[in-house]
Amino acid sequence: MAFTIVTQGTFTQGATPVGQKIPLPSGADYFVATNLTQLGAANNNVVIKGEWYGGGLTARNDGIRWRKITTTGTVQMDKFSNGTASGGFTYFNKFPEPEAPVVGTAITAANPAVVTMANTYSDGDVVQLYNTTGMLQIAGMAFTISGVSGAGFTLTGLDASGFAAPATAVTARRIGRLAPVEPRFQYVTKITQAAQATQATVTLSEISNYVVGQKIEFQIPGSFGMVQLNNFNQPQSKPVIITSIVSDYSFTINVDVSGFTPFAFPASTASPTAALFATIAPAGQSTQVNPITGVQTGYNFQYPPFHSGDFIPYMYLAAGDSSPAGGANSVIAWQAYKMETGTINSPVPS
Amino acid sequence: MSFSTGITGIQNMAPELPVQASEDLLSTPMFNLIHSFGVDLHHAESYVGKTTRMSRFERLSTDGGQLDGSGIDPASEVPVRTDIDATMEIYAKSIVTNEQVILYENSKTLTKFTALLGQWLREKEDLLMRDLFSSSVSYINATGGLNGDQPSNISLNDVNNIENILLGNDARSMLTSLEATLKFATGGVRDAFIALANTNLCADLQKVQGVLLKSAYPTQEGIRPEEYCSISRFRFFVSSKAARTPGISMKGNTVYTIPMYGLEAAAKIEQNNYTAVIGYRPPWVVSAVAQNSQLYAKFAIARAITNQNWISGLNVTTFQPS
Repeated sequence: MAFTIVTQGTFTQGATPVGQKIPLPSGADYFVATNLTQLGAANNNVVIKGEWYGGGLTARNDGIRWRKITTTGTVQMDKFSNGTASGGFTYFNKFPEPEAPVVGTAITAANPAVVTMANTYSDGDVVQLYNTTGMLQIAGMAFTISGVSGAGFTLTGLDASGFAAPATAVTARRIGRLAPVEPRFQYVTKITQAAQATQATVTLSEISNYVVGQKIEFQIPGSFGMVQLNNFNQPQSKPVIITSIVSDYSFTINVDVSGFTPFAFPASTASPTAALFATIAPAGQSTQVNPITGVQTGYNFQYPPFHSGDFIPYMYLAAGDSSPAGGANSVIAWQAYKMETGTINSPVPS
Repeated sequence: MSFSTGITGIQNMAPELPVQASEDLLSTPMFNLIHSFGVDLHHAESYVGKTTRMSRFERLSTDGGQLDGSGIDPASEVPVRTDIDATMEIYAKSIVTNEQVILYENSKTLTKFTALLGQWLREKEDLLMRDLFSSSVSYINATGGLNGDQPSNISLNDVNNIENILLGNDARSMLTSLEATLKFATGGVRDAFIALANTNLCADLQKVQGVLLKSAYPTQEGIRPEEYCSISRFRFFVSSKAARTPGISMKGNTVYTIPMYGLEAAAKIEQNNYTAVIGYRPPWVVSAVAQNSQLYAKFAIARAITNQNWISGLNVTTFQPS
């Protein structure tokens, strides 16, 4: 058993294909993904198979692609990096560090803010922004991006309409969608001051995985206004409880903030001396049981317990018809191989 | 790349080069293990699932409560409990050794590999606790430094701000005071909270107003080697593996996170009988021809921030970009 399949499986893309993370507990020296859907279809310019070699032989986000170049099945082999709209394989044996910086030219002072930047990002990616000239109050924050095109993306979690001016420069670095440990701290971009108690809506810069019943604690510097929401100002210092989920980015809390100082970003001109940022951090959970129905609510057992964000190591497969994770509704079969002898006498880095 | 050996033929041979091993191996590098220091240790029993729940009753309200003599009872209060859950995870590492390594190349190979696995075990545990601190705690950007970045380099004002937060949240200090002694150039150290910093910050720590380097403590007895200095109410411990994220400051410089905490801020949960498992699989088990043997180490760990009130921290950059 010198060369062994150590793991294998399949996945099926939905109508909107997304990149796939495949956990590889023992690592891999060779990885192959086959698009079973495109194998049998009469499509042109689609990838039907991708291969990855370990030990540093395959560059990040690359690999060998087997691509149909005619509808009759003529196949061409080259690299994913030869394609203009394709991604390949990326193997992670540790938590990913921020990727190489990408420079943009503007962020609109609008709701939501829109970034102008030539990029290859995907919807749902998380980017850390800095060098945000004219909008320094968000320099260093992480955002989930949406509406991605090759020319830019939207920061759905940021209402920048109250900012004094748009940013005239910005640099982004893509980071992991999950932190090494979840639930993680997240950046607060807005807190509404509703007239009714328990209706204050909190908006985050990233998609939130927080659930109803989860407890959180705010850390709001004086430069953001609403310091009354800081934990030590809460009755008996009790953590705040999430009472409902409004959207991917926002939720309501059990605190009446109508009498508090309004929440607002400091001016860009206050940087770098204004204290940043307003954040929340996980502080446990509160569960309730309805004695009549016997139903327990307020707790998603999968998310609130502290746990690792990603299983590491894993292989990331980029999505799309020109990429190994396939396009819409594609069925992908994958296999990870390990060279057993290579790990004894001639170690294969993996 | 090529270089001349001076050997041009059999008439011009280099002298014989005998090799012998020195009396012992050189040291294996090991980083400072600081991230489990000061966290609570809990134990999870076997056979009751992999989620450990730590619960805390919140304080009762001190509002009202006066009796007016009318016989009317004061309103009772429903105690509030906060549950902190953590999921148990298991990590493992193995080394496969060929019999020829043992036969030809070294002595006591298995003993040395066992020591390596033991080191891995403690290092991995330390990094897992570091990840907990860097992921699940809110940090405030330092702004008192003079490097013009956001966050700035660390300053006394920034450290004092965190002390204000912890004291305002009724956090308890972790380390007892060191009483001053009649020794030149030393000073007493107050009871203190703990701060964990990357070794890249040492130069900046030395420049913070009021810093007391470890050498200036009134005593060195019982002081851990990882400790670097004391600033205000914090004693700083350093590690080359403490949290850092490259290129995300306002100017694109590396940002370092410094967790700063008191008692019962975080917890490490050990699984009963699975804290540190080290084992050996003999050649006749691993290999068809009994040539390869295997050593392995495993441990189970769950981690949690148990009280966000009692932990805070700083994001900082270095004065000189790093």
